Amino acid sequence: MITGTGITKTYKQRGHILGGRDVQALRGVDFDVKKGGAVTFIGESGCGKTTLGRIVAGLETCDSGEIVIDGTPMSGLRHRQRQAHFRRIQLIHQDPYSALNPTRTIYQTLHAPLALRARQTGRSKAWAEERARELLTLVGIDPGYVLPRYPHQLSGGMRQRVVIARALTVDPEMLVADESVSMIDVSLRLGILALLKDLRERLGVSVLFITHDIATARYIGEDGELYVIYRGQVVERGPTETVISAPVHPYTQALLSAIPVLRGVERPGAERVEPTEALDERHVDTGCLFARRCPFRTDECEAERPSLGNGGGTPQEHACFHPRPRSVIPVEACA
Amino acid sequence: MTVTQAPQVLPAPVSPRRNFWRGVARVLRRKPSRMAGVAIVGLFAFLGVAGPLLYPNPLPRDDNALYAAPSWAHPFGTDFEGTDVLALVVTGTRYVLLAGLATAVITVALGTTIGLLAGFHRGRWDTVLMRLTDLQLTIPGLPLLLVLSTVWKFTSPIEMGVVLGVLGWGGIARAVRSQTLSLRERGFIEAARGLGLPTRHIIGRELLPSMAPYIAMNMLIAVTGAIYAQVGLFFLGVLPFDANNWGVMLNLAVFGGGALTSAAALPYLLAPLLAILLLTLGIVLVVDAMDEIFNPRLREE
Amino acid sequence: MTESFAPGVRVRDLTVVYKTPAGELPALAGVGLTLAPGTITGIVGESGSGKSTLALSLLNAVQPPGRIKEGSVEIDGLGDVVKLDGEDLRQVRGRKVGYVFQAAQNSLNPLKTVGKQLLDLGRSHDVADLQALVRDARELLGRMGLDGARVLDSHQHELSGGMRQRVGIMLALVLNAHLVVLDEPTTALDMITQATILRIVRDVHHERGLTTLIITHDMGVAAEVTDSLAVMYGGRVVEHGPTTEVLGAPQHPYTQGLIRAIPRLSGDIDEARALPGRPPTLGTMPREGCVFRERCPLRMDVCDTVDPAPVTRGERTVACHAVGHQVSPPRRKEYA
Repeated sequence: MITGTGITKTYKQRGHILGGRDVQALRGVDFDVKKGGAVTFIGESGCGKTTLGRIVAGLETCDSGEIVIDGTPMSGLRHRQRQAHFRRIQLIHQDPYSALNPTRTIYQTLHAPLALRARQTGRSKAWAEERARELLTLVGIDPGYVLPRYPHQLSGGMRQRVVIARALTVDPEMLVADESVSMIDVSLRLGILALLKDLRERLGVSVLFITHDIATARYIGEDGELYVIYRGQVVERGPTETVISAPVHPYTQALLSAIPVLRGVERPGAERVEPTEALDERHVDTGCLFARRCPFRTDECEAERPSLGNGGGTPQEHACFHPRPRSVIPVEACA
Repeated sequence: MTVTQAPQVLPAPVSPRRNFWRGVARVLRRKPSRMAGVAIVGLFAFLGVAGPLLYPNPLPRDDNALYAAPSWAHPFGTDFEGTDVLALVVTGTRYVLLAGLATAVITVALGTTIGLLAGFHRGRWDTVLMRLTDLQLTIPGLPLLLVLSTVWKFTSPIEMGVVLGVLGWGGIARAVRSQTLSLRERGFIEAARGLGLPTRHIIGRELLPSMAPYIAMNMLIAVTGAIYAQVGLFFLGVLPFDANNWGVMLNLAVFGGGALTSAAALPYLLAPLLAILLLTLGIVLVVDAMDEIFNPRLREE
Repeated sequence: MTESFAPGVRVRDLTVVYKTPAGELPALAGVGLTLAPGTITGIVGESGSGKSTLALSLLNAVQPPGRIKEGSVEIDGLGDVVKLDGEDLRQVRGRKVGYVFQAAQNSLNPLKTVGKQLLDLGRSHDVADLQALVRDARELLGRMGLDGARVLDSHQHELSGGMRQRVGIMLALVLNAHLVVLDEPTTALDMITQATILRIVRDVHHERGLTTLIITHDMGVAAEVTDSLAVMYGGRVVEHGPTTEVLGAPQHPYTQGLIRAIPRLSGDIDEARALPGRPPTLGTMPREGCVFRERCPLRMDVCDTVDPAPVTRGERTVACHAVGHQVSPPRRKEYA
């Protein structure tokens, strides 16, 4: 559906007291989302996963690298054509509160894009009304209840469903969900995740899921692919279940080790990895980006930067000189 | 689907427009001061429309009662020609209001459009429009008006309004631009662009309503500002005396009647002053409700 | 360090109401909770459950339009905090009860260095030996893996989220408070930082002999560090008991539903189920009967009219009409 090769993005920091250092948000990232596939980007805040998601959704451009949507490279296209391609990829924002216009009712919010489509395709106005109701039903809310309401009258969970319904008005082939459940009450999160999963299974919509919560990645698509991003570089990439159960990159292992153990239900994994803390990392320019925090680093790691590959014969790709699977995730206690 | 949540009560289908006006009424009723403001503004609007019809034209003079003291026949006394002061105030309302409205419409229309375009498109548009705004802001208004008045007589209130409007849109343009800049980063604007909605829709339907309270407030404040400005000009006497005008009245009361030194012309001075104060007060009281009127959340609660 | 004295806390029938246009609505309705001395207790709840209001009540710091309507908060050595006011109350906050605000993002003054704020804190509590205070602060920061001297010389914006959180913990502990309340200590922090902070909280708790209360919406955070766990819903504590027992064999249907709604790394992911409905807000809270009944799979007739009273058996307390009738708590099936 969409592939990217060598995507880089640098933000210039202007007028900062500490001197204008450029921030490299993405350092040559390759990705590939298949039709109907599920891909998850995980990483900590500032690792570049959100920037990458926005580039995928066409809301930002990359400095270098090529994005290809269904075989069409985007670089040669004019702005307007590119927009038309990217329309098939819709972003679901993190914050359902700012994603809906507070001055417009849900009816108005959904009707605008549908009316536009009705005009473009010569369909009737009644179709737009009908479609708005259909979409709301599809995302699991009662159209009669939400249509006349303003966003502030709905709960966070309902708002996020409305946001998803709005994205579906253009019949997208892919949804980019950027931390789409992090601002929603715990008991309602799974409902939104289930909806995304369901849309994928029933409509064949690809889902790009961006999160810091690895367990949710597992829920969205066990058959999907997981990308672990650290400081703008993909450090591990492979089938979700493989990366979770047998991670080989120490950073992935550290991330997975940091997930709280539900004591009473689970016990901690045997080989939890505790990295040293990231206090000031800006100055590392050579070598592995993770080396300074890595408990397993060697001289080699500080001299040269490993690139993504299947070194050591692992099933997943990784960027580490010393890949070794470790069991770090919690295991069920009541086995 | 896993979760379906639907409270059973369905709201009665009401058109959004009617709903809006109901909300407005509700907001106004929330505080007595707002109702008072609406009443005051309403009264002046009525006087502006119907005032000149209430009195014969030209207004009758009574040569036996120059600077008469207030009485039942003349609640605010009479002027130097024996004309009823109240009648002068009432018939003068139209000019003042019309000029004020014209100013407000022009300030807001120019300011909002320029601010929106600059903020939304950014880049070159922004640079050009903002330099223009800066230019406008640096024009010294009063001296220019004094100079203009020597060649232009401002007999029509609309002319007056246009001039004041063209001299006053800069502040609103800057404010609207900065609002737009912050709003355009919001998720819903980004989503609208991602859905391929036309710019016209995004600016008119998504951005503008979010700024409505702000714009409405500025508009009302612009009305008061314009009233002060024109009354001031007439008071200074730089404009001709041929209209029944509150400013002209003030001028005549002070410089002709010696209202500052003798008590006889005092009602003549106070009447237009009172009218200005009352109108301003009314507008300020209404401004208080704007935020709640245009914010659905505050309106419904 | 001074002799260790971890106070116990007993909250009794605490009712906190908020004034709204619709009248005074209860954010807490007769909450009872006991913190055993020297333990870490977690309070887990969603938005509107009243968990933050409860935390503020421990300091008698509920702000208008809210007020404590009735009930008591007894802290060992301090008496009933609800009855304190003025200078006494101010001395209690900080000296006896340390409060770490949400991710410490907004609780630091952006214009002053951490050290200056530390001195302000010392002066406002009439600390005689300010140098000793600074020494203690440096030691505490060092204990948490930071360069104390450097941090004290820094402004808020020069510190990362995790560092700020540690500064917050330091400020809460430096006056030797033995009761510490942490409000959402890891919200907005990254996973690895979160794990580090939680480890620090646990270590410091043991080293200094504290009674610690952690308020969080994240079951995992509570599971990781707490000894005992209270689950709040709709202004009530619906279940309370030892953490491993509450998580391993939850009794209240809300706790069960909540645990099942968390996607996990272990076990069969497809067993995760969303909880139907949504949490109540102040305005939508039912006036009588059980607050959870709309979402409850075990709803009975009695739930519509009678608010279930908390029943204590051994170490566990549950407020549910259905608990006596229940066969066995649903467990996840084994996963090979």
